Amino acid sequence: MNTKNILKFCVIGSVGMATLGLTLMFSASPAVAHGERSQEPFLRMRTAQWYDTRWNPGKTSVNDEAMLSGKMHIAEDWPRAVVRPSRTFINVGSPSSVFTRLSSKVNGVPMFTSGPMELGGDYEYVIKLRARLPGHHHIHPMLAVNGAGPIAGPGGWMDITGNHKDFTNPIKLLVGGTVDTETAGLGAGIFWHILWGGLGFLWIGWFMVRPMFLIRARVLAQEGGDELMNDPADRVAAYVMLGVCFTIIAIGFFVTDSQYPYTIPLQAGAPLIKPTHLQSDLTMKVLSADYDVPGRALRMTLTVTNNGETPLRIGEFTTAGIRFLNKVGVANNLDPNYPAEIMATDGLNMEDDSPILPGETKDIKLDSRDSLWEFQRLMDLVHDPEQRFGGLVMSWDDSGNRHINSISGAIIPVFTRAQG
Amino acid sequence: MALFRTAEIIKASKLPPEGVKLSRMIDAIYFIPIAYFGVFATFHMHFDLLAGDWDFWVDWKDRQFWVTVTPIVEVMYPGAIMYYFWTFYRQPFGATLSITGLLVGKWITIVLAWYWWANFPANFVMPATMVSSALILDCTLLLTRSWMLTAIFGVWAFAMMFNPSNYPIFAYSHQPVVVDGQLLSLADYMGFTFVRTGTPEYIRIIEVGSLRTFGGHTVWISAFFSAFISMLMFTIWWQIGHFVGQSFFWVKGKRGVRHRANDIMIVGTDEYALRHGTLPGVPTPVLEGKS
Repeated sequence: MNTKNILKFCVIGSVGMATLGLTLMFSASPAVAHGERSQEPFLRMRTAQWYDTRWNPGKTSVNDEAMLSGKMHIAEDWPRAVVRPSRTFINVGSPSSVFTRLSSKVNGVPMFTSGPMELGGDYEYVIKLRARLPGHHHIHPMLAVNGAGPIAGPGGWMDITGNHKDFTNPIKLLVGGTVDTETAGLGAGIFWHILWGGLGFLWIGWFMVRPMFLIRARVLAQEGGDELMNDPADRVAAYVMLGVCFTIIAIGFFVTDSQYPYTIPLQAGAPLIKPTHLQSDLTMKVLSADYDVPGRALRMTLTVTNNGETPLRIGEFTTAGIRFLNKVGVANNLDPNYPAEIMATDGLNMEDDSPILPGETKDIKLDSRDSLWEFQRLMDLVHDPEQRFGGLVMSWDDSGNRHINSISGAIIPVFTRAQG
Repeated sequence: MALFRTAEIIKASKLPPEGVKLSRMIDAIYFIPIAYFGVFATFHMHFDLLAGDWDFWVDWKDRQFWVTVTPIVEVMYPGAIMYYFWTFYRQPFGATLSITGLLVGKWITIVLAWYWWANFPANFVMPATMVSSALILDCTLLLTRSWMLTAIFGVWAFAMMFNPSNYPIFAYSHQPVVVDGQLLSLADYMGFTFVRTGTPEYIRIIEVGSLRTFGGHTVWISAFFSAFISMLMFTIWWQIGHFVGQSFFWVKGKRGVRHRANDIMIVGTDEYALRHGTLPGVPTPVLEGKS
């Protein structure tokens, strides 16, 4: 190696070390969520409207069971830019399979495969989980819509303690016996891969022990080279290898067939889930709505009519899994385990918070104001292709009965406080 | 008596002993780090882009699309690689090299990406194997010495043997289980139980289509269909190998006539020395008829 080459190596090495040094200067903190805030506001506010979400219990040990449950309302005002939910799957948003899913029911119907959901329908989901990987995990319910992608619900933290090595996930077979989904079929898979891989490398090795390229190419380019390359030993080897392959395939197939006499194809049906519908004595119509960008508030004027027989008070506005409550909402619907980072307990204000009396119709100015609008990146509403919003308004009577209305309407951004 | 014709071949190559030794060093450097790793890296990428999910997940391996798609995609690269190794070196291991290379890449991914990084159990992401099919394909080429007959018989067997050779690996996953009153295969349940946030169930393509005429023998109908398309694909990719695998020099002979010469045969000639120079101490040759 001459001086010039040594110099080149030094320069390249220095550049490499400098790159490594620069890389290490940047701190790489662990990711703690799934980018749900990067989903556009109109997608989160006007598709699946999540409520009553529960992560129960918040702390588990490996192999313990847990529950992710809640409800979602499929918005009537589904955005035109998003494919309609004709094929959907209720999923879990988690960093890998930190829980295994044991069961998933929507309105009481098992949802192993995907199925349609109706606009305006209400769906209650219960997902039974088993703790698998220890850690502090951010878990979302998630509605995956074919053609539109996943729509993340609110995320909550679930802690798992213990050791992954202790995890088992047994399942009973219909034909008798139990297998563990962590290890079923693993030994056979590795055995067959090693067997076939070994034969493959043996075949290549048969030719590697002899000159492989340059010499053969020189010979092949000459007259008669092809004939010289037609080595009888290779032909015998090829016949033997063919015989070995077909024999092993046949033995493997028939032995396996007798080992598993009862098999079924993959199942791909679609569950038919009947939706329920929101119940409310109130009717609501959005008269106007604006979004105060610097003030981080959604202000709306609603015309509300009470068709029931008891006075009702509005207590909560929820959209994109984010909850804005007032005193009524806190008194009736405060779940202490709901993640504080997506709930504003004094985020809902009304000019007139008197109850809506039976038979009364009045205009109500509802103001949901909190830094959550910015923190959860819902202020990006102004950049959406459809300037509309949606959400659920919850009201209660004195007995604590809840009434839920789905609302939606056009929204106008206001860029300065002075204009507001 | 020698097992192989190696001595005759070396003699016919007209290389001096040091040239033979050097050629073996070239074999080692070219084959392992360049050809093998190059093939497995590029073929792995090619395969994962075209048939990745079918091979990643146990609950994608249905009787129709998995059986159809996998051989078609897996025969492409071997077609071109077989052309190259057979045409230039008469080496009948192009398919085996490609597919063992693919599996080396796959197992690296299974261990490092799926198991260690993403925490999925290895049985859930177990790949299929087509090494047996590749061996059959290579043996067919060696015995017939014809790419056309290889395309007709070898590729047919390549695709048809896919399902029976993988049945011992995946049959367990088709055992029935009952969960919440629903009949599922174990593979369906594994796909359900191991949460995949970015891979919702509806992305699977399970027996969608009409290849099901012969009373439920879907897998063999799919395999036949796959075999025919694989023949076409093999032919196309053999020709792609031909298109990109040509290498030659234009050489001007002693009488001043230009002709195409195989790049290997020009090595060691005066023409080559004139083009590429000579080693220190070796005089530059002078071609006859040139001033």
